[in-house]
Amino acid sequence: MKKKLLTAFVALSAIVTLFGFNGRNKTVSADEAHYTITSDATYAPFDFQDKNNQYIGIDQDLLKAIAKAAGFTVTVKPMAFNAAMQSVASSQADGVIAGTTITNERKAVYDFSDPYYKTGIAWATAKDSKIKSLSDLKGKTVALKTGTAGAEYAESIKDQYGFKITYFSDSDTVYRDVINGNSVATFADLPVLQYTIKNGTALKVQNAKEPFAAGDLGFSVKKGENQALLADFNKGLAIIKKNGTYDKIVNKYLSAKASTFTGSAKDNSSMWGILKSNHTAFWSGLKQTLYLTVVGIVLASLWGLFLGILGVSKNGLLRGLSTTIIYIFRGMPMLVLAFFLYIGIPAVTGTKISAWTAGILTLVLNEGAYTGAFVRGGFNSVDDGQMEAARSLGLSHGQAMRRVIIPQGLKLMVPSFINQFIITLKDTSLLSAIGILELTQTGTLIVTRNSQGFRVWAIVAMIYLVVITLLTLLSNWVEKRTNA
Amino acid sequence: MSEEKQVKVHVDKVNKSYGDNHVLRDISLDVMDNEVVVMIGPSGSGKSTFLRMLNQLEKPNSGVIEVDGYDISDPKTNINKVRENIGMVFQNFNLFNNYSVIDNITLAPVQLGKLTKEEAEKKAKELLETVGLPDKANAPVSSLSGGQKQRIAIARALAMDPDIMLFDEPTSALDPEVVGDVLDVMKHLAKMGMTMIIVTHEMGFAKQVADRVVFFESGKIQESGTPEQIFTAPKNERLQTFLSKVMQA
Repeated sequence: MKKKLLTAFVALSAIVTLFGFNGRNKTVSADEAHYTITSDATYAPFDFQDKNNQYIGIDQDLLKAIAKAAGFTVTVKPMAFNAAMQSVASSQADGVIAGTTITNERKAVYDFSDPYYKTGIAWATAKDSKIKSLSDLKGKTVALKTGTAGAEYAESIKDQYGFKITYFSDSDTVYRDVINGNSVATFADLPVLQYTIKNGTALKVQNAKEPFAAGDLGFSVKKGENQALLADFNKGLAIIKKNGTYDKIVNKYLSAKASTFTGSAKDNSSMWGILKSNHTAFWSGLKQTLYLTVVGIVLASLWGLFLGILGVSKNGLLRGLSTTIIYIFRGMPMLVLAFFLYIGIPAVTGTKISAWTAGILTLVLNEGAYTGAFVRGGFNSVDDGQMEAARSLGLSHGQAMRRVIIPQGLKLMVPSFINQFIITLKDTSLLSAIGILELTQTGTLIVTRNSQGFRVWAIVAMIYLVVITLLTLLSNWVEKRTNA
Repeated sequence: MSEEKQVKVHVDKVNKSYGDNHVLRDISLDVMDNEVVVMIGPSGSGKSTFLRMLNQLEKPNSGVIEVDGYDISDPKTNINKVRENIGMVFQNFNLFNNYSVIDNITLAPVQLGKLTKEEAEKKAKELLETVGLPDKANAPVSSLSGGQKQRIAIARALAMDPDIMLFDEPTSALDPEVVGDVLDVMKHLAKMGMTMIIVTHEMGFAKQVADRVVFFESGKIQESGTPEQIFTAPKNERLQTFLSKVMQA
């Protein structure tokens, strides 16, 4: 049985790996270079989803035009800004275009293209805020998006003006935090703030005329690598600046009405309207969540069973191994594990691992450790007399485990398994952090576009509840059957 | 006992302690083929521990234990093989909760390749007849009363055709009205010539069935002899005290 389980686990891991790497091995035409480019998923007007859930924005359109002009093709992977930058630093992707300001600090890690957009840092408060100058921020809290130039600037003046800082990983949450009054201001790139305000976000820019630390946005690759891509990007940029495409793209976003991209007010003013106009996005997000959940549950259960069986083995070394694995992965926050697998390990080893594979591995290691703990506990809670009776009949330890202890232990574990399945479903939402486009990430993207945080998150919450209810009903049915 | 009878169990100077607690001290005992030995004594006197050593559910700290000619105190002995010939019946029955009655009985002979599934089932039905529960073959374990469970447990042990049967307080967890059913099955076994070693508090049963009664106290065999010697003319002072207590009850 142990052997069978192991074989099954190895086979399934192989399948996952294949699936995981699938997306990356898109057919590459022989004559054109192909690159994987990461991008911010929520950074309007540079990067965001339109009402048809396509990724658009100044960055996206420029990249497409430049690729066409310079003769290369790209696969764009939108994710959180930090993850997008670090994917390149860890060689998971070839380049990143994410409204990145060129700074000396970043130049230590990345090689930048020629500047493609002039920008500066602006600060904004809630529309009706009484705060007028930076000195009014004393003792107050400022909300920032992690890893941005705006955040860097705010950090540099925080002691001078005496404000506190709180961080979020996507722009919309930053704006909400300011509007809701948890914090009083934010620092960000001027065009980004202007765009979101035009879109109906109730913020007010305080220094539109005189942005701080005026700088440039640049496309970047990992320092010393992908120099051909960098040269191609610069070549393409020069071409589209010359032929007018560049101006057309920038104007398209900065002078268009917000509703062009975000959908009509009617669509966004009710939950039903949002659900209807985004149903394909919600559906594909839900499918990804279910896919992660099912594969995660199956593999984590197998891994957990394996750990649990190891944990009640006669061999002290194997028991110790099981205890150690459970201890490590139960003690590690899931998000840390995800970042470690997706960004940490590849940065050292240089091997690429897809976000999907990293996500599934995270689920398997984390949920598997919890499963292993209750599986071990379940086997241990089978009365000792059962083992003694089996052994006294002449059965070996292995036979006694297989025929008597494991079947009884598994039955005791059914409620724990159901509980773990539900937790796994909910935990898939954490994988949005490494850019997997599941239900939660879908919600983030839609909110970025339409700024309807309350309605969108209510919809997402309800979808989770419905799925969890169905899963619970299914599990209860299974539980009844096993008890019959 | 006649001379030609063979020694089934040979125990020589066995000691067992748990930490500072010295539960068995220099125990030596031989049990002959077809003999029924009943072990009595107060709780904690070491008699159950001694019994559990005979099929290595407990290991001695020192001393020699030979069962069926195998030295089970030798780590090289294949204990699984030896256990196939020693049936054990527990105070708490320990029927396998995940199997029906008949599957409890057929599990070991089929798993260990002694019988085919069909042979094992045929044998199980005969054994159910023997223990007086022929209609319980397909019942789930949870539906049985304590007395029924213990008789099934005896049938399960007998399915392996053991040479020796060990009984560890087989009636202590039973309601008084069903104790007789279990004791009747055991008497039947004794009559059939089974070698039996029994730990029990049923003095009446001991008197009636035992070839030899062994009195344990403080981890030592204080006295042993025929039921008549033990119950009517006890020499050991502690045995006298013990008997006066249990006979009163």
